[in-house]
This record gives sequence, C-alpha cells and structure tokens, in this order.
Amino acid sequence: MGPGERVVAPRHADWAALREAESARMLAACTACGACFAACPMIAYVPAAQGASASATVRGVLAILQGGEGDAAARGWVAACTRSALCIPACPEAVDPMLLLRLAKFTAQENGTLPQRDARDAMSRAKAFARLGFSETEQKEWL
Amino acid sequence: MTDALFWYGCNMTRHAEIIRLGTHMLAAVGVAAAPTGGPSACCGSPKESSPRIAEGMANRTMQRFNQSGASQVITWCPTCHMNLDDFMGATQGKQAESAHLAQALWQRREALAPLLTQTVAGRVLIDMHIGNRTGVNEAVPGLLRLIPGVTVLEHPYRAPSYMCFGLASIPGALADAKANMLAAMAATGADTLVTIFHSCHRELVGLERTHGIRVVNWVHLLAEGMGLAYQDEYKAWRNSDDPEAAIGAERIAAAGEEAVRKLVLPELTRPR
Repeated sequence: MGPGERVVAPRHADWAALREAESARMLAACTACGACFAACPMIAYVPAAQGASASATVRGVLAILQGGEGDAAARGWVAACTRSALCIPACPEAVDPMLLLRLAKFTAQENGTLPQRDARDAMSRAKAFARLGFSETEQKEWL
Repeated sequence: MTDALFWYGCNMTRHAEIIRLGTHMLAAVGVAAAPTGGPSACCGSPKESSPRIAEGMANRTMQRFNQSGASQVITWCPTCHMNLDDFMGATQGKQAESAHLAQALWQRREALAPLLTQTVAGRVLIDMHIGNRTGVNEAVPGLLRLIPGVTVLEHPYRAPSYMCFGLASIPGALADAKANMLAAMAATGADTLVTIFHSCHRELVGLERTHGIRVVNWVHLLAEGMGLAYQDEYKAWRNSDDPEAAIGAERIAAAGEEAVRKLVLPELTRPR
C-alpha cells in the first residue's frame, strides 16, 4: 500500500448521509418480526417493556428513528441498549438492529424524546487523571 | 513518520501503567507504536448525544490518523474500535489497518511466548462480555494461557454489553453482572478475576476489597509473566480508605487540586 492510499474507502460523505442511507435501508428491510427484541438481554432491565409486544416495540423504535416519540417500551429499549449485539444474528432481514437502536437514540436525543447523556465532565475528568498518572513527557507525547 | 499508533482512547488516562505496558509489549514483538489518546484523539463517543459534535471530534481524530502516515492503528477501547469501523472509516476512509491490542499481540504470539518466562500462580476467570467485535474474547484467553502457571478457567457466563460501562447506567444491570461473575468464579474455583477493558477494571477492582478475590487486567498478568514491574494505582486508590492520602498532596497539587477534588475523588470514593 502506498502513502495516502486508503485501506477503507469512505462510503458516505458524512454522518448525516450515513444516518440517512442506513435509516432508509432499515425502514425498507425491517418487517418488525420482533426477533431482535426477543434476543436482547437488556429487556429485563426495561420496566415498560415487560409484557410488551415485540413487534409493536420494534415499530415504536422505527417511529423514533423517523423522529417520532414511539411508545414507552420502545423508548426504554432504545435507552437501555448496551450494544450486546445478539440482535444482529437474530435478525432474519440483516437489518442490523443494534445500529437501528443506536441511530434511533441519536434522533431521540436530538429532538428531546430521550434525555442527553450528561458528559459535561468526561473530558475534564480524563485530563485530570492524565495529570495524576502520566509523567510530564507522557502528557506531551501521549495526549 | 510513525509506523503504528497505540490508540488508547479517552478514559484510559486512569491507567497509565497499562498504556506503558501495552506499548512495551508491542515493541517487544516488533511493533513500534506511539501512544495517542485523551480528549484530542477522541472517537466522539462521549458526545454522542449530540451527533454533530461527536462527528467533529471523530473527524479530527481520523484526519490525524490518516495524516500520521501510520500503517497500523492498534486500539484499546472497544467503543473507539467500533466507531473507527462504523462511523469514522465509513465517512473519512481509513489509511491504516486496525486491530485491538490483544489481537495484535495474539497475532505475534510466536514472538511473545518466549518472553513469558515468569511463573504466575493463578486460577483465573476472565470477565467476558458479549457484543465484542474486537476479537478479545478469543485473543485474551489465548494470551493468558501462554503464561507459565496460569490456569484459564471456562464458564459460559458472558455479561451483557460489550464492556461494563454500558451496564453502569442501567439500574440493576451492573450489580447483576457482578453477582453473576462472582457466582461463576465460585463455580469454577477461580481465585483471580481478569478484566479485559478499562471500564470493567474500573467497576470491578472494588471486588478485591469486598470479596477477597484478586482483580487484575489481562495486561497486568502478561506483564507479570514477562517480569515487568508495574503499579495499578487506580486499584490502590479505589480500594484505599483514604484515596486523597493514597494519591498524596504533592501529586494532587501538581494535577490541580480543584480538578482532583471535583472530578477524581468522587469517582474513587463512590460505593463499590
């Protein structure tokens, strides 16, 4: 491989284009069969999803992806996804439900359907730990 | 021109010794990797609630990688690793191959194995998670089995999420994962819990104090097998009765007393 040559070529112009293309693909492919919901190990931690219809909850996630509010089970599931990835092989339509939930979360946090993660101090905390643990040289070279 | 980057991520700043040891191990198997990370080399994940901000951070990091001339990016953080593939490479393109540190070492195990000369007594169970696309669930057990004296025990339990970080914000999920892991240790007769990722190490080191088991990261164990000295200061601070005293006034002053009080000590003193 020569200098400047890409191992992986970009498939999308930016994140917005990626989200738009993936969302369109998912909305076309998903049949709301509920196999992803059934495979998810985090459902046990979503009170609103207990006893909920798998298919209806998936439809709720698709609504959130498109800017809607979805139902409580769908919102709870989107919020509780920790990317365990068991939904990916469970999906008969190769939707990639893990990415579906993640993109739905992007939209929900942008439009206020779900609260934003409070990461105000994350970078300051990382820097404070670096000042404690890194030597001065390491701080200059590693950060 | 940099041959390789060791992209340790943001939150690994808590574990300087793992960065040092990982860099040393890579060099020992023929990979000269420059550590890079912290806020200036972020994948954007901490700001993911605002995708446009996350995208800006990720783009800067990817452009830095692509301009570095490095032919390899060795990752540590699974969030960074997945974002590199799913978002950064997909929108910016990648000019470097990428692999997790454990994968990179496992691929070079013929060079690594002769360096593991020290016997390390331990019946170890690895804190494995589902959802990993980093290859660690295969590489880490293989690497630990190269260490003389280490017995890697098998148990089918795998915690949800790809590391403990995701579980910590879901009520009940992290507590369940800890209880299940302790039950798996009891069932297998393990005396040592081996963490794979930094967030798991951060969440689980407290079990050393509360449950009388040993908790180490896989890099620590490899280091012991290689005879490399290290100090797990984060664990020492977290399990200290007085983290402020354990860190020491001089280091706190050098790091900025206000920042340490506001950002570091609350984390170290939260319930285990």
